[in-house]
Amino acid sequence: MTTRTDALPTQEMTINMGPQHPSTHGVLRVILTTDGEVVTRAVPDVGYLHRGLEKIGERVTYAQYMPFTDRLDYLAAMNCNCAWAWAVEKLAKIEVPERAEYLRVIVCELNRISSHLIAFGSYTADMGAFTPFLYGIREREHVNDLFEMICGNRLTYNYARVGGVSGDAPPGFLEKTKEFLDYFEPKIDEYNNLISYNKIFVHRLANVAVIPAEEAVAYGLTGPNLRGSGVPFDLRKDEPYSVYPKFDFKVCVGTGERGTLGDCFDRYMVRINEMRESIKIVRQAVAQIPDGPVLAKVPRLFKPPVGEVYFRSECPRGETGIYLISDGSVNPFRLKIRTGSFVAMNIFEKVTKGLMIADIVAVIGSFDIILPEIDR
Amino acid sequence: MGLKAYMNDIVEAVVTTAKGMRITARYGVDPREEVTLQYPEERWEIPEGYRGFLHNDIKTCTACTMCVKTCPVDCISLESVRGADKRMVLASYDINIGRCMYCGLCVEVCPPKSLKHTSGYEMASVTRGELILHFIAEDAAEIKARVARQVAEAAAKAEAQAAAKAAEVPSSGTAEVAKAAEAAKAGAQAGPKAAEVPPSGTAEAAGAQASAKTAEVPLSGTKAPDVSSESAKAPVVEPKAAKEGENKE
Amino acid sequence: MEALAISLVNAVPLLAGVPLWAVTLLLMVVVAAVILVFALTFEGVGSLVLRKVAGDIQARIGPNRVGPNGMLQFLADGVKLVLKEDLIPANADRLLFKLAPYFAFVGSFAAFVVVPFGVGLIAADLNIGIYYVMAVTSLVVIGVLLAGWSSNNKWALLGGMRAAAQIVSYEIPVGMALIPAVLIAGSLSLQDIVRSQSGLLGIFGWNLFHNPFTFFSFFLYFTAAQAETNQTPFDLPEAESELVSGYNVEYSGIRFGLFFLSEFGDMFIVATLSTACFLGGWNVPFFNAGTLPWIWGNLFSLGVFLAKAFTMVLIMMWVRWTLPRLRVDQLMRMAWKYLVPLTFVNLLGVSLWLLVFKGKGIPAMIASLFG
Ligand code: SF4
Ligand code: SF4
Repeated sequence: MTTRTDALPTQEMTINMGPQHPSTHGVLRVILTTDGEVVTRAVPDVGYLHRGLEKIGERVTYAQYMPFTDRLDYLAAMNCNCAWAWAVEKLAKIEVPERAEYLRVIVCELNRISSHLIAFGSYTADMGAFTPFLYGIREREHVNDLFEMICGNRLTYNYARVGGVSGDAPPGFLEKTKEFLDYFEPKIDEYNNLISYNKIFVHRLANVAVIPAEEAVAYGLTGPNLRGSGVPFDLRKDEPYSVYPKFDFKVCVGTGERGTLGDCFDRYMVRINEMRESIKIVRQAVAQIPDGPVLAKVPRLFKPPVGEVYFRSECPRGETGIYLISDGSVNPFRLKIRTGSFVAMNIFEKVTKGLMIADIVAVIGSFDIILPEIDR
Repeated sequence: MGLKAYMNDIVEAVVTTAKGMRITARYGVDPREEVTLQYPEERWEIPEGYRGFLHNDIKTCTACTMCVKTCPVDCISLESVRGADKRMVLASYDINIGRCMYCGLCVEVCPPKSLKHTSGYEMASVTRGELILHFIAEDAAEIKARVARQVAEAAAKAEAQAAAKAAEVPSSGTAEVAKAAEAAKAGAQAGPKAAEVPPSGTAEAAGAQASAKTAEVPLSGTKAPDVSSESAKAPVVEPKAAKEGENKE
Repeated sequence: MEALAISLVNAVPLLAGVPLWAVTLLLMVVVAAVILVFALTFEGVGSLVLRKVAGDIQARIGPNRVGPNGMLQFLADGVKLVLKEDLIPANADRLLFKLAPYFAFVGSFAAFVVVPFGVGLIAADLNIGIYYVMAVTSLVVIGVLLAGWSSNNKWALLGGMRAAAQIVSYEIPVGMALIPAVLIAGSLSLQDIVRSQSGLLGIFGWNLFHNPFTFFSFFLYFTAAQAETNQTPFDLPEAESELVSGYNVEYSGIRFGLFFLSEFGDMFIVATLSTACFLGGWNVPFFNAGTLPWIWGNLFSLGVFLAKAFTMVLIMMWVRWTLPRLRVDQLMRMAWKYLVPLTFVNLLGVSLWLLVFKGKGIPAMIASLFG
C-alpha cells in the first residue's frame, strides 16, 4: 500500500519572513523552510540595519560618540549612554561624582522599565492581543516625560557624559519619579491579570523554544534570555559596577512555572518581574541620592592613556560589552560592541527547529531583539 | 489527560478570559482613562531644557567654531572673516536641521552661550534644502566684501596716521609714505578723529575704533529665524541658495 | 415571496395586468436591495464602532476627525477603498483572484436573507433556515481559499489553508450547538425558533434559560461561531502578526473592501443567530409584538432584535480586543478535543431533557408549579 505522501509528493516551501514583517521587530529577515505550517529550518539573516557604528567610533572623539550610543539600542538609550561613559571612564580612570552615578542608575533602571514595557507590549501584540501593547506604550510615555524633563529629549537621550551626566535633575524630577513608580507598580498586576496568565497566552508560550541552562550559557545568551533559563547571572550583582552594590534587589530567573524551564514564557516572565526589581532599585536610589556635583572636570579633547578596556553592563537586552583600544589619541583606535540581541540570534536556528510559523514570532518576541543592536 | 485536567483547562480558560475582559471593560467604559493628546489642538508642556531646534544668537556668537568642531555629524557650517579689529566676523552661519540629531553637544561647548536649543519641534519642508537654517540673511560674499573693504579702510587709516606721524617726524619721511598718506586721506576721508589717536596707536588701535561702527553693520542687516515661535514653519531661508547647496551635497 | 406578490397584486389594481412572476421578481430585487443597503450600512457602521470600541478599551479616543465625533469615518474609508487602485499581482491567477472576493461577500450577504428581523420581517422564511445559513456561510471559505491560492503569495496561501481547515472543523460544533434550539422549536425555520421562545415567561422563555444544557449551548455556539467566522481570537487566516495579513495580503481597493465587508457580515450573522436561537429573537419580556398593528409590531420587533444583535456584536468586539490569538494546532485541538465532544454531550443532554420533561424547560415547570 502506498502512503498518501507517495501518491502525492509534497514539497518544502521557502518563505521569506521579513525584512518587512510586522513581527520581526524591525528589519530582521528570517528565511523559513517549512513543511506546511511546521518550520524545518529558520535562518536569521541580519544586516539590514548596519550603520557602521563601530567604525564611526574610530572617527569621532570619545565625547562625540555619546549620541551614537543612543542609536545602539534606541529603546534603552540611557543604558547604552551609561555603558559608554563607564567604559571610557574605566579606560581613562576618571572619577565620577557620586550624585552622577545615582542619577545614572535612576535613569538606567527607568529605561529598563520602559524597554521591558515595549518588550511586553510588542510581544502581546505579536501574539494577537493588541490592547496590552497600547497599555505598555501609555506607561512608557510617563518614563519619556521624565527623561524629557531631565535631559530634554524623549528617545535619543544623550544624557550621560564622560565623567558624569549632562545636567543635574531639575527640581521636581525625583518627586515625579516617585509618583510614577507609585502609579506604575499596580499596573504590573493588571498586566498579569489581563494577559500574562491568560490561558491562550500561556499556551502560546509555554514549552515553546526551550533553552536548557547549559545551552544558554554555551551560546552566550545574556540578560533576561539567560535568566529565563534559570541561570541567575546579572552583571549588576555578579560584576557590580557603579553604585549598584548599594541597592537591595533580587535577580529574577525563570521558574518554569507554566511549562518547561527556559521556554518563551519564562523569558517573558523574567522581564515582567524585572520591572518590579527596577522599581525597587529606583525607589532606593531616589531615597539615598546624595548632593553634590554631577560632572567631573574632564578636558574636552581628553586623551586617554594607551591601553585597552572591556566594560560590560547589564542592559535590558542583555550584556552590552564595550571593548575599546586607545592609542593615546583623541579617537579610539578600535571599538567593538557586544550586544545581547546579536548573540541571541546564534541560537535562533537551533531552537526554532520543528516549531510552527506562529511560534517563530513567539521566539523572536521572547528574545526581545532590537535590530540596531544586532546590526550596529 | 485525565478528566480533571480536562475540566481544569476549560475552567481556567474561562476564568482567565473573564479576568482579562473585566480589565478591558473597565477601560472601555471609563472615559477618564483616555490618555490621547489631541495633538495640533492640545500640546504637552515643554519642559525647560528641551532640546528642540537650534538657534544661534549671532550677535553674541564669536565665530569660535567650537560648535562646528564638536558636532559629530558636521551639520553646522560657518564662514567667518577677520574683521578690521582682528575679531572674527561671521559671514554665514548655517545649521542643517535635517541632519542634526539634537544631541546638544554643540550647545554645551559654546563659550558665550549664544547657541541654544529652542522649544521648536515642528517643521515641514518640501525640499531638503529648506531644512538648512541660515542665521545670517545677508549674502556671505557681500559681507566678506564689506569686511574686506573695512579692513582696507582701517589699514589705510592706520597708514594715513602713520604717514601723518611720519610727516611730523621728518627723519622717517619718504616720498612713498607721504604719497600713500595723501591717497589714504583722500580715499578714507580720515576725519579729525584720526588725529585724536594717541601717538602710540598701532593699526589695531585705530581699527578698534572703526570696528565699533563697522562690526554692527552686518548684524543689523540680519534676521535670525525665530524657530521658537508657534509658527515655526517658515524660518528665514533662501530656498534658492539652499537648494544649490543641497544639490552640491 | 410569491404569497407576498399575490397579495401585492390584489392590493394594487395597477399591477393586475402584470404577470405574477414579474411582480415576484421585482419584489425580490427590491428586498435584496433593502437587505444589501442594510448590510452595507451595518458593515460600515460596524467598522466604525469596532474602532471606537478599540479606542475606548485601549485608553485612547479612536477616530474623531471625519464628521462630528468621527461618525463619518466609515464613509471616508469606503470612498478610499473604492478609489484605490485595484492591484493584481503579476503572477496571480487573474480569474480566480478577481472572483474570490465575491464568493466571500456573497457567502456572508446571502445569509442575511433568513435573518428574522421582526414579526413579519424576514426576506425568506425558509423552512430550512438554520441549515441554509450554515451552508451559505460556508461559501465564504471558498472565497478565502481561492484568494489565498490565486494570489500566488505564500503568506496568502497559508492563510487560505488555515481558513479551510478552520471552517471545516468548526462547522461541526457550530451545528451541534445550534441543534438544541431546533429541537425545542421543532423546526429549522428561524421564525419558528424565535416564536417558540415567546410567551408569558419573559426572558425565561428564551432558550438560553430553557435548561442548563441550552445555557451552555449558547456559550459553545458563541465560541465556535467566532472561530468559524475567523474573528479574534481565532483570526488565524489573517493573523496580521504572523501571516502579515493572510489570505487578503495581495488585495487592495474595493476587492479588499469586499473581504472586509464579509468579515463584518459574518460577525452580524453570528450575532443574529445567537439572538434568534438563544436570546429570544425579537421577543421582549411580557409583551407580544405580534398583537400590535402590523407596521408598529414590526418596527418594534425590529428594534428589539437589532438591539440584541448589536449587543452581541459589541461583546464580540470586546472579546476581540482582549484575547490573544491561538496557534493553528491549538485551534484544531480546541475544536476536536473540546468543542466537538462538549457540544455532543450537550446535545445529548438537551435531547434527554426534552424526552424526560416532555419538552418543558425549567422556567415553564416552575411557572406551572404556581399554576
Ligand atoms: S545638536 Fe548635535 S547634531 Fe545638532 S548641530 Fe549640535 S552637535 Fe550637531
Ligand atoms: S560655539 Fe558658539 S560662539 Fe562659537 S561659533 Fe559656535 S555658536 Fe558661535
